[in-house]
Amino acid sequence: MTTDQRQQIEELVYQSCLALDEQDFKGYLELCDKSFRYSITAFSPEIRKDMTWLDHDKSGMETLFTNLPRHNSDHSPLTRHATVYRISREGERAEVVSALQVFRTALDGGSTELLAVGRYHDTIKLDADAPKLLKRVVKLVTRELGIGHHIPF
Amino acid sequence: MVKNAAEWAAEPKFPNSHYVNSRIYTDPTIFEEEKEKLFKSSWIIACHESEIPGTYDYRLFTHPTGVPLIIVRGEDMKVRSFYNVCPHRGNTILYDPAGNAKRMTCIFHAWSFDTRGNCIDISRAEQGYQNRYRKEDSGLRAVKTEVGFGGFVWVNLDDGSCTLNEYIGPALDMLEPHMQEPMEVFHFHKAVVNTNYKLWHDTNSEFYHDFLHYFNRITGMMQPGYYDRKYVGYPNGHASVGSMEIKYDAYAGSKVRKIGWPGLAPGGWILIDLFPGMTYNLRTSVLRIDTSVPLGPDKVMIEFRGLGLKRDTPEERAQRIFDHNTIWSPFGRNLHEDLLAVYGQGRAMHEGTDSRWVIHGREENNTIHDEIGMRHFYAEWSRRMGRPAYDPFLEGRREPTFAAA
Repeated sequence: MTTDQRQQIEELVYQSCLALDEQDFKGYLELCDKSFRYSITAFSPEIRKDMTWLDHDKSGMETLFTNLPRHNSDHSPLTRHATVYRISREGERAEVVSALQVFRTALDGGSTELLAVGRYHDTIKLDADAPKLLKRVVKLVTRELGIGHHIPF
Repeated sequence: MVKNAAEWAAEPKFPNSHYVNSRIYTDPTIFEEEKEKLFKSSWIIACHESEIPGTYDYRLFTHPTGVPLIIVRGEDMKVRSFYNVCPHRGNTILYDPAGNAKRMTCIFHAWSFDTRGNCIDISRAEQGYQNRYRKEDSGLRAVKTEVGFGGFVWVNLDDGSCTLNEYIGPALDMLEPHMQEPMEVFHFHKAVVNTNYKLWHDTNSEFYHDFLHYFNRITGMMQPGYYDRKYVGYPNGHASVGSMEIKYDAYAGSKVRKIGWPGLAPGGWILIDLFPGMTYNLRTSVLRIDTSVPLGPDKVMIEFRGLGLKRDTPEERAQRIFDHNTIWSPFGRNLHEDLLAVYGQGRAMHEGTDSRWVIHGREENNTIHDEIGMRHFYAEWSRRMGRPAYDPFLEGRREPTFAAA
């Protein structure tokens, strides 16, 4: 893998964080391939099972974003911090693992708290002009998310 | 018309069964009393039998009074509960929230206990205690435990309490036909929210707040039969809401539920609130269970479980999980709205905000937007607390009355 390719992949991961932070949902979806699949998962040591908390294809994500203004939501801004840890290229795809921290800032900006930690497990398509997200699995370590959130991580 | 200070402080013009003083949600004295008078002697859901399916499987649970418990299945397959407190030096015995332990050994001095709560080993016992203290003297504190009403494990800290059947009475009769098949927990998460536990139970006890939910406004409230759902109050403060059919495909991105639940009409919905802080919520294809564990007068931890049928095929289970997540996961449409609302109540009722009254005054022939469910709860709350919810400190200097809901 060339340095340029690696840089493109890293920028894709970081751009996806920025887009969601800025609630630029159109921009986020433009980073995704048409066969994009998104899920949030966590392992529960209490019931000793892997759990899925959200699972959508690209169309489902579009609908989720479209419905957002119709719902009552906590508008405290979220800030996603990702660090790309590992990139493994397999043909025209790359498997990318990134550390993720999500911070929530109070509406009055008075305080920022760490809301969740976990990892992005991304599958990225490389054969297009620019790399695209084919699949993102958010594996959460934090399972206590307070009142929850309508906007995915 | 706006209110001046005196008008703001004046009691609402309703019968005193139709409002409560907001201090019941914020006062530390009341909170401590609730633990003793309500939670200690109530039957509380600790977990589901599917969480401890095998011999020696255990599960930890923090009781609403604060007592840490071990729920464990013995080699005789019986489920028992004990304080997770070593009788030696008061240390925690088990740390992981679930696991398998034939012997439960305290890491501090290696005292060991079996799944019946007997102490089976005291390290260097004879050298230290001679004949003055033996392992037979040092069993764990056993807690009354029963399994029932859908395979849930219930605990009661009061050795002299009534039975689980007596406590529940007829409250779950409406659900019993739908809980005949073995179930399995597929979802578990906890939410810690800065609000009083009763405010969460209130939300589960009234559907007037359907106005909060876009999802419900277009899938439920528009449909025939919605306003016919009736509340029924039962002894011990429990209450139920009758079923109706939900048209899920009215919500963009949702669709008609592909699978249902044994005996439940397609799109059916039954909700039963159990005093003092548990809810059975069977909605179309998933049973959700809420268990409130109050952490303080202004903080609650709610345990959320989602259950399917043990016999589910992988495809059926996946569909139930999808249905559950659409509305009830931490990223679901409705749960976030409900939790946001009670967080807002906690914020507005915090000590010093001069919030005075909470009105439960709607009367609509006990149907869906009637607030009879909350009135029924607070009638029981007042009786058990020995304090009228409308005037918990008798500041009105009158003889308390404990009106029926």
